[in-house]
Amino acid sequence: MSSSEHQRYVIRVRGRLAPRWASWFDGMALVPQDDGTTVIDGPVADQPALHGLLRTISDLGLPLVSLTATDEPTHPWRRTP
Amino acid sequence: MVGPLLASKYRRPRRRPGTVDRPRLTAALDGARHAAVTVVSAPAGFGKSTLLAAWLDTLPTDAAAVAWVSLDERDDDPARFWTYVLTAIRDATGVGEEALELLASSPSTPSSTESALVAALNDVGGTDRDLVLALDDLHLVTAPEVHEGLAFLLEHRPPQLHLVLATRVDPPLPLARRRATGELVELRAADLRFTAPESAAYLNGPMDLALSGDDVAALDTRTEGWIAALQLAALSMRGRDDVGAFIAGFAGDDRHVVDYLAEEVLGRLPDDVRDFLLETSVLERLSGPLCDAVTGRDGSRATLAALERANLFLVPLDDRRQWYRYHHLFADVLRTHLADERPEVVPELHSRASRWFAGVDDVPAAVDHALAGGHVDLAAELMERAMPVMRRERREAELLRWVRSVPDEVVRVRPVLGLAFVGALAQASVFDTVDRRLADVEHAVRPDGGPWPAHAPPGLVVVDEDGYRSVPAGLEVYRAALALRRTDLDAAAAHARDALALVPESDDLTRAAAGALGGLASWARGDLVGAESAYVAAVAGLQRAGFVADVLGCCIALGDIRRTLGRHRDEERLYRWALALTDPAAPVRGTADMHVALAGVLIARDELTAAGEHLDAARQLGEHRGLPQNPYRARVAAARLCAARGDRDTALAVLDEAEQAYDSDYSPEVEPVPAVRARLRIRRGELREAETWARERGLSPDDEPSYLREYEHLTLARLLLARRDDTATALLARLRAAAEQGARRGTVLEILVLQALAAQARGDVPAALDALRRALGLAEPEGLVRVVTDEGTPIATLLRALTKQDPAYPSARRLLAAGTGDVPAPSALVDPLSERELDVLRLLASDLDGPDIARELSVSLNTLRTHTKSIYAKLGVTSRRTAVRRAHDLGVLPLRR
Repeated sequence: MSSSEHQRYVIRVRGRLAPRWASWFDGMALVPQDDGTTVIDGPVADQPALHGLLRTISDLGLPLVSLTATDEPTHPWRRTP
Repeated sequence: MVGPLLASKYRRPRRRPGTVDRPRLTAALDGARHAAVTVVSAPAGFGKSTLLAAWLDTLPTDAAAVAWVSLDERDDDPARFWTYVLTAIRDATGVGEEALELLASSPSTPSSTESALVAALNDVGGTDRDLVLALDDLHLVTAPEVHEGLAFLLEHRPPQLHLVLATRVDPPLPLARRRATGELVELRAADLRFTAPESAAYLNGPMDLALSGDDVAALDTRTEGWIAALQLAALSMRGRDDVGAFIAGFAGDDRHVVDYLAEEVLGRLPDDVRDFLLETSVLERLSGPLCDAVTGRDGSRATLAALERANLFLVPLDDRRQWYRYHHLFADVLRTHLADERPEVVPELHSRASRWFAGVDDVPAAVDHALAGGHVDLAAELMERAMPVMRRERREAELLRWVRSVPDEVVRVRPVLGLAFVGALAQASVFDTVDRRLADVEHAVRPDGGPWPAHAPPGLVVVDEDGYRSVPAGLEVYRAALALRRTDLDAAAAHARDALALVPESDDLTRAAAGALGGLASWARGDLVGAESAYVAAVAGLQRAGFVADVLGCCIALGDIRRTLGRHRDEERLYRWALALTDPAAPVRGTADMHVALAGVLIARDELTAAGEHLDAARQLGEHRGLPQNPYRARVAAARLCAARGDRDTALAVLDEAEQAYDSDYSPEVEPVPAVRARLRIRRGELREAETWARERGLSPDDEPSYLREYEHLTLARLLLARRDDTATALLARLRAAAEQGARRGTVLEILVLQALAAQARGDVPAALDALRRALGLAEPEGLVRVVTDEGTPIATLLRALTKQDPAYPSARRLLAAGTGDVPAPSALVDPLSERELDVLRLLASDLDGPDIARELSVSLNTLRTHTKSIYAKLGVTSRRTAVRRAHDLGVLPLRR
């Protein structure tokens, strides 16, 4: 599947998440923010993948703050190391 | 069917020590005993299961039974889901065995699930205790079929049944109405959060931390009453000297609660315990032997017991402490740390788990671990070995998951697996890749299209040698199924024939599938002789393989075919044989259909009382014992019985119901209900309604005969005859030629009767008698009555003429005696004379006296008197003289020359 079919989502959850949790959010960047939230940012293959992502967030007990679809390309430099 | 059940899944958890009493919530849950459904909806770690376990412990056992199921992802399969639920109900109440058998005996379709649910609900409705059915972790089940089944359960629940659902996601059930009428009890995250007093009770009670009010308040605020977090916090604080500093540090940090605390907990554990936790975190459930195998050490059972005592998020799954699982959130944390710290060991851990599960024959779990560890070849090998059992047990959802998990390049070198995957896809009606997959399998085994090699060519992997021998026939079976799907009947029949020629002796199921597909294709093409032998092969294979419900399903088709072939006695024998296969104590689905079919045979033979008994038997078995066609077929048979008894108004109403209930179940529609109704209209003289039907169906006397429209064309011929329209004659001649060509003697018989009537209407009595004589020649050996007598007065006149020509004509006389449906009272004997009574009557018409007649018949005078009395009663007379005269009038006795 080409990445052009993917839609980029920016998801914000409450609580800062350590980078090791990135493996739970396949291919997305975890960016802890100064306001005590974490932004999960990256391409999502399709709607089922998005719902899977939301379920992971729910399973980890992370309160969901916002979810935005955006057409802006992902900025590689925003990825955490 | 779903394979072995894990008893731990339907064992209800007991109230655990170290939990806090929550009277405000258990009091709210008491409403669940009066509500239809209770939903406990909150994210992970809010104490849903613990609360339910505590509440269920308070229920008086004499008033309420409790059925509990802990669901997991694999229950996303209706067959598996309902097997667990019905097993839990049976264990809790002792009823529902029948529902389980129904579920196991038929393929998993919405209608078979509903049948089983109806049986279970009936049973539960007959018990005198309430039944609380608790489904834990319902969010793990997402299949719409399961939700539909739950909605059905809710819609048809007896008052005893109370559903309690614990879930992280609100279930897609129609609950709004129940909320409005107060039949729904809801507890949500806001209700479940620990209040500050509950937090204090927990931290200073079971956890024995002796915290100040301010410390408790700080923790409660930081965790927002989230119980899982409070638990982790308590574990982090145990044995610490600096509890105050810990709380301050925790409260002042904005990291995710679980992330922060888990690190605290894990960081303080001894290395060997930490390693054990991380390595076993790849397991969905844990036992001592399994953990030994995965970690490569001894004594895991003791370790697990120690972890449980230390309250390290280990949940026991059974009372004997054999199986555990980690608390969901804690397992997530452990896996994250494992993947982060030692990613290289993960594949090996899964591989060990896979081997252990394979060793105890839990193939699905072995496959899951093989896949999770990236060992696709191991997974494929396990799948190939397990395929025959998995398919026999119809674990369709699991199979579909397997198909999707193995990459094409792995499947391509495994023809047996490739073919089994096609079977799984076909079962699930997912056809898009099937053509390509079939071509791949054939190309792998014989790339040049030559003969089928006896052993797999080099480069291919075959684990199941029997399966390999069935590949050529299997390919043809699926090609037949695909051809049937695109209604290419010729190709379907040809592929099915090829399959039958290729199938190995021992492979009953492939032979059965080829037979049923070929039978269906031949039937729809009008090749009833070919269809008959194909279905016979299917029935034999299915019976040997032990699929009784499928045997009964094929018998419906086979019976229809034999009837059309004019083999009514073979048809009857078939149904009685099929009924004998079923266990009367636990009748499978399809039993009702056999009774309905037998009623049809008996009506044709004018044995209406016996026919009525079989229809009653079918009704008593219940609709859930019927296959998909049964609702309409039972009604058509009931309508025919009503009509045969002269109650045509009811017959018409029942036929309307039959039309509503129609389900082709993939069979050709050879006797459409509207045509059956049109015949009844014609008989009632309502020709206008019948004409409307014929116009709507686009029927014309000039149509070319085709088997699928034969019943309609014969109905049209009846309409033309009723209208005294002479085009009937030519139409009947063409229909008869086609029916004779197809060896459809049952149809030929009906046509001959109509030809007799047509000739009579033209005034051509010799032709009429000739046709009638031929018809009787076909009807008599099969014991058929109503195909002739249903035609009423005109046919009675012909029959009388026939007996005049030939007084010894046996069946004509019997048919006259049986009465003709249309002729009003005088000539119709409600209760026909028996053969013996006819003998007596014949001698009563002679000059012999009583003792002579008794001698002639070798019976006593008393017996003769009994016969005579019965004859008088049936003829409605009181003397020998009037009896003889009436018998002559009715045509029961030939007139003396």
